[in-house]
Amino acid sequence: MEQKEYKLNMLHTTMGMGPMVDQHWAELRTAKQRGEKVAWAAGPGFILPYAMKMKCHFMAGYSSYCAGRRCGDQVIEAAESGGDLVDTCSYHKLHTGMFYAIKKGIPIKEEVVLPMPDLMISARLCPEQSHYGEALHQRFGVRVIGIDHPIPRKKEDFPKIEEFVTREHKEILIPVLEEICGKPFDYDELRRILSVLKETALIRNECWEFFKKKPTPWTLWDYGVSLAPVIYMMGKPEGVTYYQKLKAELAERAAKNIPALSPDGEKYRLMWDGWLPWAFLGRIIRKLVRYGALPICGRYPWEFFPHPEAFDPEAEDIIYDLVKQWYSGQEILWHDGPEGAVELNGKLIEEYSIDGIIFFTSKTCRLWMGQQDMMTAIERKYGVPGIIIEGDMVDSRMISDAQIDTRLQALFERIDGIRKRQPF
Amino acid sequence: MDEILNRFYEVAADPYKSVEGWKRKTGKKVIGVFPMWIPEEIIHAADILPAVIWRGNEPVTEGHAHLPPFNCGLTRSFVDDAVRGKLDFMDGMVFYRMCLQAVVLRFIIERHAQPQPTYLEHLYLPPVFDRSPCLKEFLIEELETLQRGVEGLSGKEVTVDSLNRSIKIYNENRGLLRRLYQLRRAKPGLLKARDILVMVHSSMLMPKEEHSELLKGILGDLEKKEPPTLVKGAKRVIVSGCLCQTPSLDLLGLIEDSGMAIIDDDLYIGSRYFAIDTDVNGNPIEALADRYMKDEPVCPTKGEWQKNWGDYLIDMVKRNNADGVISLLVKYCPPHLCWYPAVREKLAEAGIPHILIEVEHEVTSLEPVKTRLASFVEIMTGRA
Ligand code: SF4
Ligand code: SF4
Repeated sequence: MEQKEYKLNMLHTTMGMGPMVDQHWAELRTAKQRGEKVAWAAGPGFILPYAMKMKCHFMAGYSSYCAGRRCGDQVIEAAESGGDLVDTCSYHKLHTGMFYAIKKGIPIKEEVVLPMPDLMISARLCPEQSHYGEALHQRFGVRVIGIDHPIPRKKEDFPKIEEFVTREHKEILIPVLEEICGKPFDYDELRRILSVLKETALIRNECWEFFKKKPTPWTLWDYGVSLAPVIYMMGKPEGVTYYQKLKAELAERAAKNIPALSPDGEKYRLMWDGWLPWAFLGRIIRKLVRYGALPICGRYPWEFFPHPEAFDPEAEDIIYDLVKQWYSGQEILWHDGPEGAVELNGKLIEEYSIDGIIFFTSKTCRLWMGQQDMMTAIERKYGVPGIIIEGDMVDSRMISDAQIDTRLQALFERIDGIRKRQPF
Repeated sequence: MDEILNRFYEVAADPYKSVEGWKRKTGKKVIGVFPMWIPEEIIHAADILPAVIWRGNEPVTEGHAHLPPFNCGLTRSFVDDAVRGKLDFMDGMVFYRMCLQAVVLRFIIERHAQPQPTYLEHLYLPPVFDRSPCLKEFLIEELETLQRGVEGLSGKEVTVDSLNRSIKIYNENRGLLRRLYQLRRAKPGLLKARDILVMVHSSMLMPKEEHSELLKGILGDLEKKEPPTLVKGAKRVIVSGCLCQTPSLDLLGLIEDSGMAIIDDDLYIGSRYFAIDTDVNGNPIEALADRYMKDEPVCPTKGEWQKNWGDYLIDMVKRNNADGVISLLVKYCPPHLCWYPAVREKLAEAGIPHILIEVEHEVTSLEPVKTRLASFVEIMTGRA
């Protein structure tokens, strides 16, 4: 049988993201020289220091940036030379590694160097994020504020958790921000950021609609590289412009029937459950493209991050409104737990006509626990097969081409088998 | 004395049999509680036996279908036991998010444990980053949730009096275990480390009242006994780490056979379990919350960063005039992995010899450890 040659059609708009992201990190890197305060943050609370005009680093955003710039291994090596162990979360090590490298004068590529923080906000969405705060405090003397974010086990628990998390923000985090910045908390600026964010996210949602089209005009990886404006560069009008351009390009492709994969679009539509493999995006998509497969959607970029479209920037209690969208509003943290994940994955499978799922599990992060069970449950309920790929988002020692290749082959064979049984 | 010690060994060696046997004999209920900070007293006050969930000795088989191999031994072994029906005698199970690996347990149990425990709870015990009222109030709400849950299971109301009574029973047991540890410090070699560990572990599996009676008996005998003379030059060491999990008895034996005396420990199934008491006052739930909020012993799973675990260990070394510290790190245990560099740095700064040994559920051979322990003894000897 003749083997079809597939080729990715790159989007033009996404090329514009690199310089925007570079500028963000460059501004952060030089913040201290301009006398600005710097916060490092894990979890979703970093929007609050933004409202205080602090420059802010976001743990996962930085990790994707650092890995994407091919510097992850270098910083992890620095962390391990300072005593971190191989099985520790890679995101954690990117930060302890950075500290250690600066302290010991270990050379790190300039573009990924971080300024030392005046404050670290450790939102305990995952317990590791509190360990990361502990490490920075204990080993490097950083001032740390912890905010617990319980992952709900049942929806009835939303109200009590929302009340608790709102109180943590108001009673613990805001007073410290006011003390560090020497001014009252700037609620007006928070509202401004949220309204820009909302505008950006609403256009982003329109872009998501194009994923439903067959063949798709763009891929999950394209969205992966477009995350910054809604995830950690919020409040910047450039984010709105970026998504407007992206939407226009997608609309044009849709109108002209230009698929993301030439010659005639994807053969397999995949869902990706897990972190995006930041350091290996190219390596993995090349493997998928060979089979005519594309990642279309995935739990992490969908639900893991704020759905700012649900905010009401004019809400009377804006902090509560912010917290609410993580729980009852958009159920973001519900989908973070295994029960909610099954629910969300089912919804995505149906909405985006998914043929198969890749569960990407990180050897150093246990956030995606339960994937084996999820895989069985989904296959049973929706008839959509899945495979598990073990790897890491950053650490190249943890990723094996042989394992990925064998499992991908098995996945596509199973999808083909299912298709044969259902020829319509 | 041997009889009592054998009883402790019997309970700890086969908790499946001993806990189930107790249940059959008494007709009462059992709740499996996840280590380390669920206040067992609340369960006890409802006349239910709280048994701390343990790591079985068998290699994981069916559990592989539910958890990846890079999960810690405790979670893998527990899930394996549960899906194979080995824990079907548990009427309830209580979890909380002491680490990321614990988050998924309820989900797996709900789907695969046969039969399902009647009572399945996942508490949101908050970390103790900050001692602000919102954390404590939220914690109290969670403890009340547990109280309501166990009342529902047992059909018995947990009153202020019954809870205070349970707190006293638990405090007494902790006090006796502390007496045991004082004795070990005063008379090193009187008991083997494995004996001590089994004595603590059995306390996690038996009714405290019964355990305390046995302890009183054995302590009376031990206090009269003279210890054997320690091997000349034996190094006094503290064993630390092994969060949640029973360290292998063979490994403890190997440490002692390598020319070291374990003089004290910083293990959960060890001194951490009984380090602090609960106050007895008019509001026992609040007292239990206060115990949880304490910063001693510094616990890597509780989000405590005002204090350094390394300092806590250094104090222990000084108090015991110890020569070194052995860290037992459960493979794939993130709280310990993350804290370990800070502990190592502190010990190094204080000039305390220290060695890290990674322990795995499926131990293949202790031979490489033996060599490393021998060089550790040489390092400590070189310093003396
Ligand atoms: S363990 Fe996972 S969820 Fe937690 S900080 Fe690391 S990467 Fe993030
Ligand atoms: S041993 Fe470590 S990883 Fe395992 S359950 Fe305990 S804290 Fe979690």
